Amino acid sequence: MNRLNIALAVGLVAVGIYLSTLSAESLGAMKANFMSLLSPFLRTGTAVQQNIGSFGQRLKTLDELEVENTQLKTENRALRAENALMRETQSENQRLRLALDFRARSPHRLVAARIISRDSSTWWNTVRINRGFEDGVEADQPVVTDNGLVGKTATVSKNEAIVILVTDESCQIGAKIEGTREQGIVSGVRVQEHAQEGILQMKFLSKNAKITADMEVLTAGVAHGSFPPGIVIGKVREFQRRALDGQAVVEPAVDLSAIEDVFVLVGKK
Amino acid sequence: MKALIDLLALFLGVFIAFVVQHALPPMDGLHGARVMLAPLVFCYGAIVLPFPAMLAAAFYMGLFSDLFYLHLAGGEVEIPLGVSIIYFVILGCLVGGFRNRPEATKIWVFSLLSGVGTSAFLLMQFLLITWHRGGWDWAEAAAWRILAPGVMVALLAPLFHLIASHIDHLIPDFSRRRVQRR
Repeated sequence: MNRLNIALAVGLVAVGIYLSTLSAESLGAMKANFMSLLSPFLRTGTAVQQNIGSFGQRLKTLDELEVENTQLKTENRALRAENALMRETQSENQRLRLALDFRARSPHRLVAARIISRDSSTWWNTVRINRGFEDGVEADQPVVTDNGLVGKTATVSKNEAIVILVTDESCQIGAKIEGTREQGIVSGVRVQEHAQEGILQMKFLSKNAKITADMEVLTAGVAHGSFPPGIVIGKVREFQRRALDGQAVVEPAVDLSAIEDVFVLVGKK
Repeated sequence: MKALIDLLALFLGVFIAFVVQHALPPMDGLHGARVMLAPLVFCYGAIVLPFPAMLAAAFYMGLFSDLFYLHLAGGEVEIPLGVSIIYFVILGCLVGGFRNRPEATKIWVFSLLSGVGTSAFLLMQFLLITWHRGGWDWAEAAAWRILAPGVMVALLAPLFHLIASHIDHLIPDFSRRRVQRR
């Protein structure tokens, strides 16, 4: 290797070291711009993946129908397919009606958003939503559904935002257990067995707390925190007494693998 | 000229690899491990491109990777920008060291180092997160998520090498032609 090559390599490492000293604010801005640039391509990739998935599901349904209904006439098959389509529309209608009702009932100002893609990294549990700072979304705002807490916004670009799910360890929430005076910190675990479902842990509970399974865990709404009080996080699955404190295993209230529509809490009404 | 075309093709290849791996869902049967294609494309570039072009590729790959995976939580960054640039410079130097070896050795080394490089990249991410968050929280799933993508890349690498080298031969080598004319 000649001297010029060594100098180039050292120079590049120096650039890397310099970049690692950049502040979180400037990195956030860089990430937001990067997201905006990449967004159309990632959306296309996700759409292709969804189309392939739904194509596979359609084939499976057709196969099943073929086995079950080999003797049925073509007209019968067409009617069944039509019926299935109507059911899908009905369930979507019902889901959206519930969502609208939730928005009307909520004391907070909510921005409805749709999940456009799920996270592609190995270590973080995040999703992307189709609302950004143009829609009034800012960083560190709670994201909910009518069932409970989904997570909080992190990087926000013009028309998109990354939401850190409650199952991620870096999403830490001040929480309380309903019916008790117990308060603690809820977070995900570092490596979830299933990326989108997952369990939560509630730390710093008192060792002798009377906590039983199925007790509801709610946000405590600590001062200067991101989360207002009373949002359902999940239910206690198990309480473990440790040497100095207690820890609860919490099951999230929202099925994070199935959600499609969410709301961002952008302030009070 | 050929190196420049190769470098541009590599930039495009890395970009497509990121888009494709973003669209691919995690594999539940492998404890949520994901397919990683970008390190494979980079390693191919490292074994084919001359040293300065490899450095440009390492910079692009590292910057793209860091921005793609940048995780901001509570105003803090878990893996600083630039870390991947340094990682891919080191990996590129290692892989590029075998550039002038015979074709059979190159395929073998490329497959091995792409696999090891992919797993080492994931391990580096895990260690940086652990260092940032504190505590040692090891799970079986973590081992799967580090090792399985590396094994998948190592298995895919010979096929990728075959396809990529065929495409590479389709790109006209102007410099070679000029040398032949002389």
